[in-house]
Amino acid sequence: MSDDVDAAMRRQYEVEQFLVHEAELLDESRLEEWLGLVTDDVVYQVPVRINREQTGETRVTGVRTDSFHLDENRASLQMRVDRVATGFAWAEEPPSRLRHVIGNVRVAAPGEAVSEHLDLDALGDDDLVVRSNLLVFRSRGDRPEHDLLAAERHDLLRRVDGGFRLARRLVVLDSTVVPTLNLAFFF
Amino acid sequence: MTATETGHASTNGQGPPGAGHVIDHSTQAILDRMAELHPTGQAPAAIFNDRGIFELEREKVFAKSWLYLGHESEIPEPGDYVLRYLIDDPFIVIRSEDGEIEAMHNHCRHRGMQVCRSEMGNASHFRCPYHGWTYKNDGSLVGVPVQKAAYGDTLDKSELGLLKLANVDTYNGMIFGSLDDDIVPLDEWLGDIRWYLDLFTTRSPGGLQVVGAPQRWIVDVDWKIAGENFIGDSYHTLMTHRSMVELGQAPSDPKYAMYGEQIHVPGKGHGAMCIGAPPGSGLPPMFGYPDDFIERARESIPTPEQYEVAKETRIGLCTVFPSLSIHNPIRRPDTEYEGSIPMMTWRTWNPIGPGKISISSWFLVEKDLSEEFKQLSSWSYLRSFGISGTFEQDDTEIWTHIARNAGTFTGRNQTVNYQMGMELEPDEDWPGPGVAQPVNFTDANLRNFYSRWLEMMTA
Ligand code: FES
Ligand SMILES: [Fe+2]
Repeated sequence: MSDDVDAAMRRQYEVEQFLVHEAELLDESRLEEWLGLVTDDVVYQVPVRINREQTGETRVTGVRTDSFHLDENRASLQMRVDRVATGFAWAEEPPSRLRHVIGNVRVAAPGEAVSEHLDLDALGDDDLVVRSNLLVFRSRGDRPEHDLLAAERHDLLRRVDGGFRLARRLVVLDSTVVPTLNLAFFF
Repeated sequence: MTATETGHASTNGQGPPGAGHVIDHSTQAILDRMAELHPTGQAPAAIFNDRGIFELEREKVFAKSWLYLGHESEIPEPGDYVLRYLIDDPFIVIRSEDGEIEAMHNHCRHRGMQVCRSEMGNASHFRCPYHGWTYKNDGSLVGVPVQKAAYGDTLDKSELGLLKLANVDTYNGMIFGSLDDDIVPLDEWLGDIRWYLDLFTTRSPGGLQVVGAPQRWIVDVDWKIAGENFIGDSYHTLMTHRSMVELGQAPSDPKYAMYGEQIHVPGKGHGAMCIGAPPGSGLPPMFGYPDDFIERARESIPTPEQYEVAKETRIGLCTVFPSLSIHNPIRRPDTEYEGSIPMMTWRTWNPIGPGKISISSWFLVEKDLSEEFKQLSSWSYLRSFGISGTFEQDDTEIWTHIARNAGTFTGRNQTVNYQMGMELEPDEDWPGPGVAQPVNFTDANLRNFYSRWLEMMTA
């Protein structure tokens, strides 16, 4: 194999290992550990989505840049994590049964921009832009009904101390009206 | 009368609920129970999860009310529109070429297709995708494909414009519409709650702007339970929002709600809460808005009395019967931020089934505040209220279980309690209109809300 393919496979493997580990922490609500995987300057956003016809180039329409379901920094993520840890965050106490299923992981080669949604000025030499598809299954209470949310995540992963840290995450939901009673969990 | 005669279960809590009783679950029986219980500060739980009640509410309450459709700032230019629902009917709320606001049924007059399927935008025309009938943005039918060949001269286009709501009106930029052609004028419907709406809508000469599009989500709860929580339930804060109390993001003093006024508008169902600051709390005046903003507010708020009340308010709430709530509290964008940044959210609780609502939650901010303030205020909003709000998350979780219990075999026979503060006398010194109580530990606003509900349901 050529060096290029070799390097790409290695990158893909490392990124997928990171995303799968992260998903495990989110599924198991090990949120303090999950916070250890985000950078101090993290920007974590879930924009509001509306139903719109195609107006520009893209057929991925209605992704608002001015309204969000979540728009977080490190301190606000910490507040959400601390809140769950109080034991009084009824929205997640008892905890939901969550399953994050990740697929279609697309890792851009260094320097190659693959997301129109991320501010790539923040992109360092060793940073990677990664897109992945996500299904989150959420079951609460003692009933068989569940909530299922689908999204595409646009991540910026930064290499820190030989591992990755999440520096940006933009979650493009596939819902306009969100089919769950609250967003008390992370994507 | 005995329980059997009145057709309801024992409510003294002494025995298993409903056991041995024959309960009439007809809509009429539920309303009869409501009429009997309401003067005692109680209500039958069945009103929160019952198909008959839901159907009747659509007909008697929602179809006979002024309902909130949107804010003028969402459609500033001619041709700007947003799609909004009245009950489950889609309406195109549009600013016409001459600047008027209209609401047109999104329902083609040919065979009923939706002529507009984009949730917001700007349009000169709406062309139906089924057979191509084309309407101007004032609703008039201007194009029928191959009209001559298809219809000869039998089709009178002037009779076939999109149907418009006869009643669309605004108050301080708030757009309301009604399906009832005979409804009282909006000003009369709102009545004295206008004085309180002014506190949130007239503080700046530049006016308010809705930022972006609303969050929308579905919750298995009755619309009244959600409205209740925003019209007069300071009592739930300490327990429901205990996580935020533990984090120092909500006051831990159980008497906090004593420092504020709860006001309702008799006969109309509306209510407001103006929660102030306990002595020594050090909270800045007027929700924590910037000093120059407070100065401008002195000029733009209609009366000195309203200005003084706004200045003393730190947490403001207002609910316009039936389903619009406003929340405007002092908050912080995150735990590390030093100081206070208020936020304002408006929301509608739209019933979509028995014990089921769709929530739309908007963020609003005054246009003449700095971009930096607007950004911080939007974070104060997103991190406390709305679908991911660290406060509201726990409200929705709790509400769903109330609605579920209200629909169970014996749970629907239970009563719920609104007896707090029944012995209180109104505050005669309060400068505003309506009936004011000097504390928020009272269910006065809720009792008034349900008086109006019962009146409309049995009209
Ligand atoms: S249904 Fe609209 S043109 Fe036929
Ligand atoms: Fe609450």
